[in-house]
Amino acid sequence: MAERSFAKEVQELKIGKGEEFRGEGILAVTKALLQSGVSYVGGYQGAPISHLMDVLSDAEEILEELGVHFEASANEGAAAAMLAASVNYPLRGAVTWKSTVGTNVASDALASVASSGVMGGSLIVVGEDYGEGSSIMQERSHAFAMKSQIWLLDPRPNLESIVEMVEKGFELSEASNTPVMLEMRIRACHVYGSFMAKDNVAPVFKLRDAMENPTRDYGRVVLPPSNFVHEIEKIDRRWPAAVEYIKSQQLNEFLGGTRGDVGIIVQGGMYNTLIRALELAGLSDSFGNTDIPLYCLNVTYPLIEDEVKGFCLDKKAVLMVEEGQPEYLEHNINSILRNADIQTKVVGKEVLPRAGEYTGQVLLEGVRAFMETYSSPRVKDDTDILISALTSEESNSLNENVPLRPVGFCTGCPERPVFSAMKLVQKELGDIHVSCDIGCHLFSILPPFDIGNTTMGYGLGWSGASAFNTESDKRTISIMGDGGFWHNGLVSGVGNAVFNKNDNILVIIDNGYSSATGGQDLLSSRADNKTKSTKHKIEKAIRGLGVKWVRRVHTYRIATMMDTLRDALTTSEKGPKVIIAQAECMLNKQRREKPIRNKLIKEGKRIVRERFGVDPDTCTGDHSCIRLSGCPSLTIKDNPDPLREDPVAHVNNDCVGCGVCGEVSHAAVLCPSFYRADIVYNPSVWDHLSSRMRSGIIHVLQNRRRKKRSQLAFGD
Amino acid sequence: MTFQKPIKIAITAMGGQGGGVLSTWIVKLAEQAGYITQYTSVPGVAQRTGATVYYVEIFPGIDDGKTAQKPVLAMMPVPGDVDVVLSAEMMEAGRALQRGFVSGRTTLIASSHRVYSIYEKIAMGDGRGEHGDIIETGQRVAKRFICFDMDVAAQSVGSVISSVLFGALAGSGALPFSRQAFEDTIRAGGKAVESNLAGFELGFSGAHDGASEEQDEDINQSEIGDVSPKVADLLLRMRDDFPPTTHGIIKEGLKRVVDYQDNDYGHLYLDRLQEFAELDKQHGGDRRVWRLTKDVARYLALAMSYEDTIRVAELKVRDTRFDRVREEIRAEQDQYFHITEFFHPRIQEICDILPAGLGAAIMNGFWKDRLGRFLTKGRRITTSKLPGFLLLYFVSSWKFMRRSSYRYALEEKRIAGWIDAIKNACSEDYILACELAGLQRLIKGYGETHERGLRNYHIIMDSYQSLQSGENANQIVIDLKDTALRDEDGEALNKAIASLAERSEAA
Repeated sequence: MAERSFAKEVQELKIGKGEEFRGEGILAVTKALLQSGVSYVGGYQGAPISHLMDVLSDAEEILEELGVHFEASANEGAAAAMLAASVNYPLRGAVTWKSTVGTNVASDALASVASSGVMGGSLIVVGEDYGEGSSIMQERSHAFAMKSQIWLLDPRPNLESIVEMVEKGFELSEASNTPVMLEMRIRACHVYGSFMAKDNVAPVFKLRDAMENPTRDYGRVVLPPSNFVHEIEKIDRRWPAAVEYIKSQQLNEFLGGTRGDVGIIVQGGMYNTLIRALELAGLSDSFGNTDIPLYCLNVTYPLIEDEVKGFCLDKKAVLMVEEGQPEYLEHNINSILRNADIQTKVVGKEVLPRAGEYTGQVLLEGVRAFMETYSSPRVKDDTDILISALTSEESNSLNENVPLRPVGFCTGCPERPVFSAMKLVQKELGDIHVSCDIGCHLFSILPPFDIGNTTMGYGLGWSGASAFNTESDKRTISIMGDGGFWHNGLVSGVGNAVFNKNDNILVIIDNGYSSATGGQDLLSSRADNKTKSTKHKIEKAIRGLGVKWVRRVHTYRIATMMDTLRDALTTSEKGPKVIIAQAECMLNKQRREKPIRNKLIKEGKRIVRERFGVDPDTCTGDHSCIRLSGCPSLTIKDNPDPLREDPVAHVNNDCVGCGVCGEVSHAAVLCPSFYRADIVYNPSVWDHLSSRMRSGIIHVLQNRRRKKRSQLAFGD
Repeated sequence: MTFQKPIKIAITAMGGQGGGVLSTWIVKLAEQAGYITQYTSVPGVAQRTGATVYYVEIFPGIDDGKTAQKPVLAMMPVPGDVDVVLSAEMMEAGRALQRGFVSGRTTLIASSHRVYSIYEKIAMGDGRGEHGDIIETGQRVAKRFICFDMDVAAQSVGSVISSVLFGALAGSGALPFSRQAFEDTIRAGGKAVESNLAGFELGFSGAHDGASEEQDEDINQSEIGDVSPKVADLLLRMRDDFPPTTHGIIKEGLKRVVDYQDNDYGHLYLDRLQEFAELDKQHGGDRRVWRLTKDVARYLALAMSYEDTIRVAELKVRDTRFDRVREEIRAEQDQYFHITEFFHPRIQEICDILPAGLGAAIMNGFWKDRLGRFLTKGRRITTSKLPGFLLLYFVSSWKFMRRSSYRYALEEKRIAGWIDAIKNACSEDYILACELAGLQRLIKGYGETHERGLRNYHIIMDSYQSLQSGENANQIVIDLKDTALRDEDGEALNKAIASLAERSEAA
């Protein structure tokens, strides 16, 4: 079960013509897919399109009614390969993932389907994780579109435009026999807005029609000589067909006015930010009414030469607002204009930063610089917006005191103790080269653990250390989550290690879900799932591949984990060693168990709830415990002792009683300040009896001490 | 020409603080009033405890979905162009200021409570950022700054901080909607309506009653009760022999050492301290607000009340401790609970409380490893049950033996060395003497943590003496202390010492 349930939102997908849909951008895409009559949808979760996958997964009933097949693909490559269904049949299909990382994985199949060409409309929805909040390398999906000649849509970030582009995208794909990529920036995925809905459409030609009446065309297979034909076909037939469709349907928009000798060309996705920048510079109103001519590219690949030339012809200069680098559009437009001998100056990265997110501030500065230099008469904007309200002293003080807030493991996370154990083992055996993977466990690279040298990609943790397979006095440790393991790591990591007789260690963090992407189920999830087959053990898969040294350890048992790691690092046994660290993702566990517990308490059942605490009078404020844990609920507070200056450790009320605090203080021989409290709800008769006996004696002794202390009272 | 413009609202928070819920409330509230709304965020990995920004724009005008031209709303805040900033934590308010979201037209609404970042928490000393400046800057820059502890408010009614922020937003009057409309939005949400409305109420009154800054904490002027005759002589001595400005800290020190051991121990404390008071006087202590006396009073009390097993056991079995735990875990007055301790006694900790001769014989001899073998595991002791309680009670009764114990002898020796060092330094450099006294701060914790602190303490003590650095000696000690508190492995300290040695050789 995913982190967020969309049971309520899913009902919105059912609404029909004339009703208003309100919701997030990515849900609007889902609705648009259903309005377009898709036959199948696949994909792999990851911010910012995880919600699309979660919604579809919660909407399986609705999909079934419409005859739509939804697949939670094993990885993006598998999802992209699904599009093969549209090569021979008039079936509309859509796949989705996080880009550019997912597109990297998918690119093998993408290149093939782009070469074959498609009969049914094929849409690839990529969630562009670029700029603020991103957790991946900063690259552009644009390059993938160009290299395989897949058309790239970049709609204006309002729900109406997005929905329209989904629908038009399928038509464009069919008109040009080419898969189409829809680029959704992270804020557009999460943007809340509305659009007027249409009825959902069930596909006329169904998947089973194709399965029962298969057809085949050798001309569509990527093998010689067809592969050579495909290349020519792309240039001679598919490209012109696409240009024709884009032009006739006016997918790109000429907005703004007609005044002056300058204009602005903008990627559709950047339109709203540009308008805000123009508005702040006094060049537009809130509705986007501006005198400056705007050419809005809702299709950023291919460019429509006629439109570009027509727009630029009467202008001295155009500003190209193109986020990311390299500046493919700027290059392309320059080349179009030079070939046509049009002398309009293309200004892009000259006034805008070469790299990084184009925020409102960045565009405002760029627009100002452009208008000042190139517009005649010059437009100078001297409003004081963007001038910092802070004095330099205030700035300095803020920079000094406002702390960075790196992401970290959640309260009670079962992955944390694995890295506590690794940190302690490193203290004994010296530093170890650690190859990381993608997933929550990657937070180990950040404080307080600071464990991990590299991360090469999802499921590539072990392959990332495969060069270090040589005679050495130390072994390397690689990390992989269960998500990465099933995505790719089973083969690229474990298979690769077995085949190449690797002598190093892999720790698989098996928490039962693809947690970093929102807690989706996996092959090895222990949960029951109505529509998916779960409970396939990782250990069985690994042994099946031929790994002999396999240990399963409960992650919260830090001492056992340390022993196992020590053993793996020092054993004379050769060959790959895999430690499966198991414990359920705490977010999911709490979501499941808390309501049940509360219900049982209400029903009067005896329940014991555990939580941890720190005695402030024995804590001396060194914070070793925090450096070995980093749990959000283990924090600090003022030292109640007037003699001591350093803050004491403190467990706040978010504590879920996972027990790591106690384990850490045992394993690291830390401090006697931690305690575990077992709180009894609905006590039994025995609880009452035993408590009465105990507390009698305890009270007598405590009172004796209290009297003694009161004889030494200082009057306050 | 003036255009109609959207109202721009930024929410700065940490993932998981309910910024999404708050944004949705604002959107629904504005929609009910016929506004055109847009809201977006970049949660991504920030959902896992990172800092993030939620952004809402609401535009006055009828959204009939067809005829009217729709405004183009932005996806992110532009510095200097935000009307309302809501911060769910003090440092996130600081971050909003840092990013320029707050300007002269901004209503800044922030909770004054702190959620410490991992960098602040892992410091070996006190790594917390200062937020006094943030409050001052907020007050100067923002049109209006509403700031109070919304976390406490939320907890007091079993709600979450987003409801209090929503209430404060209503109370601030920054949005053109009635209180009723705000409350209706919460009701329409249908989730935890009662507690959310209670949180809202506290937020509304907090903002409305003009709580524009953090309320001063009540200074706990605890009532003066009876001074027990047994300690009256200690207090008399304090009053007669020490300058009044030092009484506060000396009294705390006395309380500590008497509680730790007994009345006589209090006199020993005063005996030692008295020498420093006299020394302080000779070196112009009255002009220096008696810093040396105060510093020694603080650190001597801590040195003399070192944490041994007896002390820990005594604190663990106290009735006041049981009450504190009950409060902390929020158990009801009659609810049963058990307390389990995590001890890891090693041979050292056992020898600490043995008679000095026996302890030394074991620690320095052949039995140490043999016995140590039985003490490699952690022990869990349930203090709230009889066997655990009686065991700890018994251990704590060994207090009467403490002053003849092995550890006591070690600590006395170290304290004597410490006292000598401070005295010697004082004749040349008053500040240096105070800083040397302050090195006691390095010694804390248990087990390895304690050993590390003690090692650093000795390294600095030794090096200062061998370096004889003259004029800037006090600065060197300050720097070395900071270095020792910065790095757990001790490498930074070793490097600093090595470079000091090089410099003094070169000179």
